[in-house]
Amino acid sequence: MSVAAPPEAPIGSVDLPLADRMALHFRVEQFLFHEAHLLDQRRFRDWLELVAEDIHYWMPIRRTVTAKDIDREFTRIGDMAYFDDDHKDLSMRVEKLYTGSSWSEDPPSRTRHFVGNVQITAVDGDLISVRSSLHLYRSRLEGVTDNFCARREDGLRRAGEGFRIARRHIYLDHTVIHATNLSSLF
Amino acid sequence: MSTDARRGRPLGREEIGGWFDGEKGLIDKTIYVDPDIYELELERVFARGWNFMCHESHIPEVGDYFTNYIGEDQVIVVRDENRAIQVLLNTCSHRGNALCRAEMGNTKSFQCTYHGWTFGLDGKLQAVPGGANFYRDKLDTAQWALRKAAKVEQYKGFYFATLDPDAPSLHDYLGEVGRIGIDQMAVHGELVAIDGVQKNVIDCNWKIAVDNLYDWYHVNFSHRSAMRVGFVSASVMQPMQQMVMLGEYGHAIGGPGVSPAQQEVLDGLSDEERTRLDSLSFEERAKLAPRISERRPIRPTHMKEVMGPVGMRAMGHPNIFPNLWISTRALQLSLRLPRGPLKTEVWWFTFMPKSYSLDQRRAMMRFMTHSFGPAGLLEQDDGENWTYSTRAALGRVARRRPQNLQMGLGQDEVREDPSGQRSIETRVNEHAQRWHYRCWTDWLQAESWDELKRTRTPSPTGRI
Repeated sequence: MSVAAPPEAPIGSVDLPLADRMALHFRVEQFLFHEAHLLDQRRFRDWLELVAEDIHYWMPIRRTVTAKDIDREFTRIGDMAYFDDDHKDLSMRVEKLYTGSSWSEDPPSRTRHFVGNVQITAVDGDLISVRSSLHLYRSRLEGVTDNFCARREDGLRRAGEGFRIARRHIYLDHTVIHATNLSSLF
Repeated sequence: MSTDARRGRPLGREEIGGWFDGEKGLIDKTIYVDPDIYELELERVFARGWNFMCHESHIPEVGDYFTNYIGEDQVIVVRDENRAIQVLLNTCSHRGNALCRAEMGNTKSFQCTYHGWTFGLDGKLQAVPGGANFYRDKLDTAQWALRKAAKVEQYKGFYFATLDPDAPSLHDYLGEVGRIGIDQMAVHGELVAIDGVQKNVIDCNWKIAVDNLYDWYHVNFSHRSAMRVGFVSASVMQPMQQMVMLGEYGHAIGGPGVSPAQQEVLDGLSDEERTRLDSLSFEERAKLAPRISERRPIRPTHMKEVMGPVGMRAMGHPNIFPNLWISTRALQLSLRLPRGPLKTEVWWFTFMPKSYSLDQRRAMMRFMTHSFGPAGLLEQDDGENWTYSTRAALGRVARRRPQNLQMGLGQDEVREDPSGQRSIETRVNEHAQRWHYRCWTDWLQAESWDELKRTRTPSPTGRI
């Protein structure tokens, strides 16, 4: 019986000489760290600059199921989700933070995005598939602390010296969300 | 006096009656934080009332199950071999362990992970390991079936359960107003549940989360940022034309309404014309039919027969007492589940009409995924308001001053239509919130269903 956490993105070929692969890995990792830094510094508009026009930003719902029903652990694309955003939706989320009345983030949360376990899983032309683990720590007001952990399956498109995020699929390690809201970006 | 072993102090009729002052529109803040009051609610509201379980399309196949709650009693909702829906308390009759630790799935039986007692989909005890060797065939398995809900009934495919055998039928419990609430969903024709229930926990009392659904005063302020970025428009969020319907046992519908004049225009439209207008953007629609309400959907002609002439015009938010909100656009249901006096777990169920085209589905999914749930552009700004409205009552001095629920008090009229349906037609108000707390008081004071049936506040008439 398989208890693999689906959907496991197929590991495509990363058919590069080791030195090139290491160089690419370094650039990808630095990009993810930079992006995390922008979010933690609340430079949300700068972060949005790193998002491709055709982004799919998606966080399915995870359920507690038995090993037998493990293929139903996550909702699928088209089902209900916590986030199912295109570029316009993400822009709205970002601009909302600058309205002066976005109460869930005013006073602003203090966040720290820890990004680790970075793996390049496929290179397909300009698109690089990247898997990472995220620990998003959020501290709010006097005594609220939230911890969100997730696997991210990103699609990064090469853009000049850097990248644009063309896909971000966030697989939470939580079923019931023990937090007032998800007003942070993952 | 109620006698519950867990409660620290007995709560009598008089003390309970003092918490909500309907004549002054004042609420004692204690009701949001007091553990004794919370225990009484579990006993007299949740264990007594009809609680929403699921829609028939959530568990279509034999053996499909879904876990839900009645107060803090966890239940398994399962389709048995006869395709009937069973509601079983999720606690082994042996030592009390949870039989089912998944929130959904499909199974042939429920087997306890502690000692292996195995129960059928109908709750009967089928097998006990060591029945012959250890119990020496002395265990009467017929007596140790799972405890079932006292009654399970459905209205238009929406299943409810009550743990109290003396409860009236679901039909009578819902009454006209509760049924109109669910009819708001039935307007869309046959519905299918979309896979995935959003769930998150907010540090607030469940009643604050519930009464907020009637609150059309907060939307322009709490949700201002969502309007600023163009997600929703102010005229839709807080229209002046409001109506309220109050139903016995605490059900109500509060929010926007279609005026009689607007309804006259709508009555002149065929179903085809209604569907076409509904598919237009607000701007296009305003040009074509400037006199009709912006509320959607425009209900099909046959629903007037079902909902009645007044119910047909009610576009606000229904709550099925105690905690089931039929939300905006009437394709989502939200449960506000009590998790102790200071915590509420909010669940969102989502549905889609079978008749919708792919484009309609996409547009509706986009609206629904972006409005509510913890990441919703609207709902993310609600939680802290509820948390701190609840928590203020922990302050010994803050607690002494009651909360103000006075908007529109004594300034409106309940009118009865020739059909007998009653409504308050007014502007933004707090009538439905006051009704919620008025009826909640009835529920807590009554020691039994018999008493509640006799003493419940009748649906009001006249000045209100």
